[in-house]
Amino acid sequence: MITGKGITKTFRQRGGMLGARDVPALRGVDFSIEKGGAVSFIGESGCGKTTLGRILAGLESYDSGEIVIDGVPMSSLRPKQRQPHFRRVQLIHQDPYSALNPARTIHQTLDAPLSLRAKQTGRPRSWMDERAEELLGLVGLDPGYVLPRYPHQLSGGMRQRVVIARALTVDPDMLVADEATSMIDVSLRLGILALLKDLRDRLGVSVLFITHDVATARYIGLDGELYVIYRGQVVERGPVETIISDPVHPYTQSLLSAIPVLHGLEAPGAERVVPTEAIDAGRPDTGCLFAARCPFRTDRCESERPVLGHDGGTAQEHACFHPQRRSVVATPAVRL
Amino acid sequence: MSVTDKRAPGVRISDLSVVYRTQAGELPAVRGVDLELVPGTITGVVGESGSGKSTLALSLLNAVQPPGRISSGSVEIDGLGDVVSLTGDNLRKARGRHVGYVFQAAQNSLNPLKTVGKQLLDLGRSHDVDDLPGLVKEARSLLDRMGMDGARVLDSHQHELSGGMRQRVGIMLALVLNAHIVVLDEPTTALDMITQATILRIIREVHEERGLTTLVITHDLGVVAEIADRLAVMYGGRLVEQGPTREVLGAPKHPYTRGLLQAIPRLVGDIDEARALPGRPPTLGTIPPDGCVFRERCAVRMDVCETGEPPVLTIGPRIVACHAEAGEREPESEPAEEPEKETVTTGPVRGEEQA
Ligand SMILES: Nc1ncnc2c1ncn2[C@@H]1O[C@H](COP(=O)(O)OP(=O)(O)OP(=O)(O)O)[C@@H](O)[C@H]1O
Ligand SMILES: Nc1ncnc2c1ncn2[C@@H]1O[C@H](COP(=O)(O)OP(=O)(O)OP(=O)(O)O)[C@@H](O)[C@H]1O
Ligand code: SF4
Ligand SMILES: [Mg+2]
Ligand SMILES: [Mg+2]
Repeated sequence: MITGKGITKTFRQRGGMLGARDVPALRGVDFSIEKGGAVSFIGESGCGKTTLGRILAGLESYDSGEIVIDGVPMSSLRPKQRQPHFRRVQLIHQDPYSALNPARTIHQTLDAPLSLRAKQTGRPRSWMDERAEELLGLVGLDPGYVLPRYPHQLSGGMRQRVVIARALTVDPDMLVADEATSMIDVSLRLGILALLKDLRDRLGVSVLFITHDVATARYIGLDGELYVIYRGQVVERGPVETIISDPVHPYTQSLLSAIPVLHGLEAPGAERVVPTEAIDAGRPDTGCLFAARCPFRTDRCESERPVLGHDGGTAQEHACFHPQRRSVVATPAVRL
Repeated sequence: MSVTDKRAPGVRISDLSVVYRTQAGELPAVRGVDLELVPGTITGVVGESGSGKSTLALSLLNAVQPPGRISSGSVEIDGLGDVVSLTGDNLRKARGRHVGYVFQAAQNSLNPLKTVGKQLLDLGRSHDVDDLPGLVKEARSLLDRMGMDGARVLDSHQHELSGGMRQRVGIMLALVLNAHIVVLDEPTTALDMITQATILRIIREVHEERGLTTLVITHDLGVVAEIADRLAVMYGGRLVEQGPTREVLGAPKHPYTRGLLQAIPRLVGDIDEARALPGRPPTLGTIPPDGCVFRERCAVRMDVCETGEPPVLTIGPRIVACHAEAGEREPESEPAEEPEKETVTTGPVRGEEQA
C-alpha cells in the first residue's frame, strides 16, 4: 500500500521577460492506493498528473509532504535508502515510441533488467530467457516473433506491451501508466486495459492510471477510484462510477461535458457544463482555483479556497462550495 | 482582406491509388478510392494507424513525396481542375491559396529558427499577398479566437509554445490565406478534452462563416462525430464505408465500422459491452492483394471474401463495400414470394440495419 500526504511541488521556470516564475504543479495532494488497487487521475493538460507519477517512481523530487510505502515513511530514510522502495513503482511512459531503445532488440531490452534481477536473486542464466518469454506471454505477445525484433519493426500497440513487459521484469508492486493507451488504436486499446486489470487481479499489482480518456478508467476495474485534478489540486475524488455518473464539481462536469458525443449512437447529457472561459488565461491564485472559469461561482468562491470533503452530504469528496449533481455524460441511444 | 467568396468548391476523388516503393516492390497505401467532398460540408476520414489517411489527404494537394507516388486516378477540384496533373508553380500556388493544410504533427513542423510571425510573412510573400499587414491582423485575430494571446504567439519561436499551442498555430496557418478547401490532419491530438471541444467548435464556426469545404482526418471517432457532416471509414487503404455521420454511427453497415464502434470504451453501461476487434490492423506488406482487406478480422466473412473484390453498394446517401451487406440485399433479385417487406433478421446486430 502506498499513501501520500500533502505532496507539494513547485517548479521554478527561469528566464522570460518577467524573470523567474513559479509554476505550482502539485498543491498538497493526498492519495492512497491499496495493494492490487486502482486509482485513476484525470485532468486538463498541465495539471500535474505526470509530475505525481514521476514522484512516485522516484524520478522527481517533491518540496513537502510525506510518501509512505508499505508502512515506511520515506522521510525517515536517506535518499539512497529510498531508491529500493521507489523501484517497486514502475513508470510506463506516455510514449511507446521514445521509451524503447531503437538500437536494441526486444531480447536485449528485456535482458538488461532481468540479468540484474537474476543476480539479486541468485538465479541461473536460463531463468532469464524463461522469464522473458513468460512476461511477453503475459502481455499477450508471441515471444518467438517479438524477441529478435527491433522496436521499429513492431506496431505501436505491440511496443506498448513490450514497455509493460519490461516494467514487470523487476516484479513491481505498482505500475504508473501515464497515458498508456492514448497512442493505441481503438481496436487494440481494450486489450491493454484488460491486461492492466488482469495484472491487478492475478499478481496484486496496484495501478495508477493517468489518462485524458475518462472512459478507459472504468476498464481497469470498476472498484477503482477516480481523482480529478485541477491545477495541482484534487478537486473531486471517489469511486469511478460515482464520479462519472454523478459528478458534483463544476470542473469535473466541464471535463465530462467536453467528451465528444457519438451523435447517432449517443444522446448528450442533459445538463452539460461549459466553462465561462474556454481556455484559462489569467489564473488568479486566490479562492477556488476554478472560479475564473466556473459558471456557478459566487463571491465566496473568489475569496476562499474550498477543501476536499463531503460537504452537502455527497457520496464522493469534492472541493466546491456549491456542489450539485448534474447529468453531463452522454448516454447510449442505440445498442450495437 | 477581400470579401470572401461564399461559394465553396467541390472535390471529386476518383479511383485514386497511391503506392510506396519498398524492398518488396511498390505497395498500395491507398487503393481505388472514390470520395466526393460536397461543397460546404465537413467530411471526416477515420481509420486506424497506417490505414492510409494521411496519404489520401496529401494526394488532395498532389503532395505525396517519394518513395510514394500517385499511381492512378484523379482529384478534380472546382476552379482548379485535376490536381494530379498540376506541376511546378501552378501546384505550389494552389497549395495554400486554394487548399489550406494542417499537416499531421503540425506541432513539429514549424521552423525552429524563425518566429511564427516571420513564417507567416514568408507564407504571405510566397503566395503574392499584397496586404501583408492585413494578413498579420487576420492571423492575430484567428489566434486570439483560439484562446491565445495572438500578438505574443506571433513573436514566439516554436520552443516557447506548448504542444497544444503549436497545434493551433498550424490551424491558423491553414486558414489565414483564405483557402476555400481546408484539410486538417489530426488537428487536436495534443489537446485535452476541453481545449479540443473549443477548437472543434471554432473550426466549425470558421467553416460556416467562410463557406469552406473541409476534410478532417483523425483516428478518433469522437472528433468526427462532433464535427463532420459526412464520414468515410478507411481500412487497409480502402474506403469501406461512407455516409452521413449520424447514420453511419447510429447504424453502421460495414463489419469494420461496427467493430470499431463496439471497441470504444464507454462512459456508462456494462463494460463488457465493449469488445475488442480480434487481430491487428494490416501494414503495407500484409494487406491482402485481392478479396476483402478486412476479411481476417471479420466476424461475418464468407468464402467469396477471400478472392472477390467486395461490391460497392450505394444505398441512398450511404456507400458500403462488403459482400455480406450485398448478400443482405440479394433476395430482391430472386423471385419474390411475398410483397417486398423488411424481413425480420435474427442477429442482434442486423436488427439495427434499416436503409
Ligand atoms: N521540469 C519542469 N520545469 C518547469 N515546469 C515544469 C516541469 N515539469 C512540469 N512542469 C510544469 O508543471 C505543470 C504540471 O506538469 P505535468 O507534466 O505534471 O502535467 P500533466 O498533468 O501530466 O499534463 P499532460 O496531460 O499534458 O501530460 C505544468 O504547468 C508544466 O508546465
Ligand atoms: N514514406 C513512406 N515509405 C514507405 N511507406 C510509407 C511511407 N509513408 C507511409 N507509408 C505507409 O503507407 C501506409 C499508410 O500511411 P499513412 O501515413 O497514410 O497512414 P495514416 O492512416 O495516416 O496513419 P496514422 O494514423 O498513423 O497517421 C502505412 O502502412 C505506412 O507505413
Ligand atoms: S466482404 Fe466479408 S470480410 Fe469483407 S467486410 Fe464484407 S463481410 Fe467482411
Ligand atoms: Mg502528462
Ligand atoms: Mg496520418
